[in-house]
Amino acid sequence: MDRLLSFAFQLSLFLILAFIALPILVVLAASVSPTTTITFNPSEWTFQWFTALTASRWLDPFLLSIKLAAIVTALSGLLGFLAAYAVAYQKCPGHETIMAFLVSPLAVPQIVKGVAIVLFLSSSGFYSLLGTPGLVMAHIILTLPFVLRMIAGAMYNFDKRLDQAGRILGATAAQRIRFILLPIIKPGLFSGMTFAFILSFNNIPLSVFLVRPGETTLPITVINHMEYSLDPVLAAVNVASLAFILTAILVFEKIGGFSTQIHGGSK
Amino acid sequence: MTSTDTLSITPQPTRLPIRFGQFLPLAPPSIMLIFIFAIPMGMMIALSFRGADGALLTLDNYQRFFSDDLMLAGLWRTALMSGLVAICVTVMAYPVAYYLARSTSRWRTVVFALAIAPELAGVVLRTYGWLVILEDHGAINSILIWSGMISEPLPLSKNLLGVVIGLTHVVLPFGILSLLTSIQGIDPNLERAAQILGASRLSIIRRIILPLSVPGIVSSLLIAFTMSASAYATPALLGGAGFKVLATMVYEQVLFYIDWPLAAVMAVLLLILMLTMTLAGTRAEARLQRKLHV
Repeated sequence: MDRLLSFAFQLSLFLILAFIALPILVVLAASVSPTTTITFNPSEWTFQWFTALTASRWLDPFLLSIKLAAIVTALSGLLGFLAAYAVAYQKCPGHETIMAFLVSPLAVPQIVKGVAIVLFLSSSGFYSLLGTPGLVMAHIILTLPFVLRMIAGAMYNFDKRLDQAGRILGATAAQRIRFILLPIIKPGLFSGMTFAFILSFNNIPLSVFLVRPGETTLPITVINHMEYSLDPVLAAVNVASLAFILTAILVFEKIGGFSTQIHGGSK
Repeated sequence: MTSTDTLSITPQPTRLPIRFGQFLPLAPPSIMLIFIFAIPMGMMIALSFRGADGALLTLDNYQRFFSDDLMLAGLWRTALMSGLVAICVTVMAYPVAYYLARSTSRWRTVVFALAIAPELAGVVLRTYGWLVILEDHGAINSILIWSGMISEPLPLSKNLLGVVIGLTHVVLPFGILSLLTSIQGIDPNLERAAQILGASRLSIIRRIILPLSVPGIVSSLLIAFTMSASAYATPALLGGAGFKVLATMVYEQVLFYIDWPLAAVMAVLLLILMLTMTLAGTRAEARLQRKLHV
């Protein structure tokens, strides 16, 4: 009986993992299959669909998404640091309430935030901000709470005696931030920024309201095409953007070194 | 940033007086949040109560929503879809989470990576994958027709089934993570004790693991429900033109029908649905947690 149960458990585990991997494997295979019929035979594989990516209809949205994600990452890192400095490091009066306010956008679904922002911009005369500026602002509202939480988490654990030592040795506040605080919270800062980058680059529910013709992000361009056809070029676009995300994560990890933090600090 | 930049070795008083400078770093993020989040949300809620005649506080827009059968069907479809996804996600996440919580095998890391990594791929890639698999000329239907088991393609996409499959895939990692935290909190000695006392695997699961992981089950159901109810891309693409849920209806009202008060009503209803579910869920979780630890 127990053996049967154990077998059923392992079988269900295998099936669930197969379910998780299946669509991703299919997209990978579709991107290198010569025709719309997907083949898993490596000798037939071709990279012809990837050459189509250099056309401006794919390259422009790709570049816009990269630019957007980079700006959003940098700004939410900066804003998140400022907020965390006051709330988690200096523990300013009312810091718990302020923190709750700063992470409150998390309680609102993205699509609702998107509607609110587009209605606000359109009805208050800020129509010209639709497009890239609106996208940047909306994405920051999405990413800031996550970045703030991760930086604040790192700052709560910060040993204040290090700062006092710096002060005794005559370091200015700016020097203490630059040489003591920043290096210590760097893993938290970079894991937050990596998260922001992925959230912004893959975002649909906010972007869908704010894109303009000529200023459309990559995910929105892809879903607009997907409604009409399942062109294999789309598979290539998806694979290329996944490869880009993975590369970006590796780069962030290289600079920020946050993997030790994720694996529970096995230094 | 602080006013005590110069060298000072006098010990700081433990209770600092309120200094304006402390709040200065909060200005840029707070201004951003007030202008791009708080004010837009307030305006949207106000807009949902504004009448066509200029009245500031009327339920006309809500009445328009609730007297329209198509809209009500959309609301009902949202709840049905989210409920089904919540159940599928929790049932599928449970074995994976249990394995991850208890296994010491070297495959554990592999399973963990496999379970969580797809989240990086984004919704678009995965939806494309499911469409290629499920559509009328897709992989499953081609194989079944080729093998002669069916003559007409099965309706696997452009309906509720396709959306539930796609959303389950999107939400599954979150279900696994919330169940994992809960199961990891169960003392493995309880299982060992039960085993020594002669309990079968099945009764250990039914009488120890399942009851003790109820808070995790609730939080998995909850996160899956709320994520599904507000998902836009998956229902739009895998559901087809006829499959309308609140999220896709809001989008249409804003960009095609340009009926902003009605869009505001739908967004507010989505928000209320979300908040009540979260509140009810956290309450239930806390009550269960208390019951278990008494």
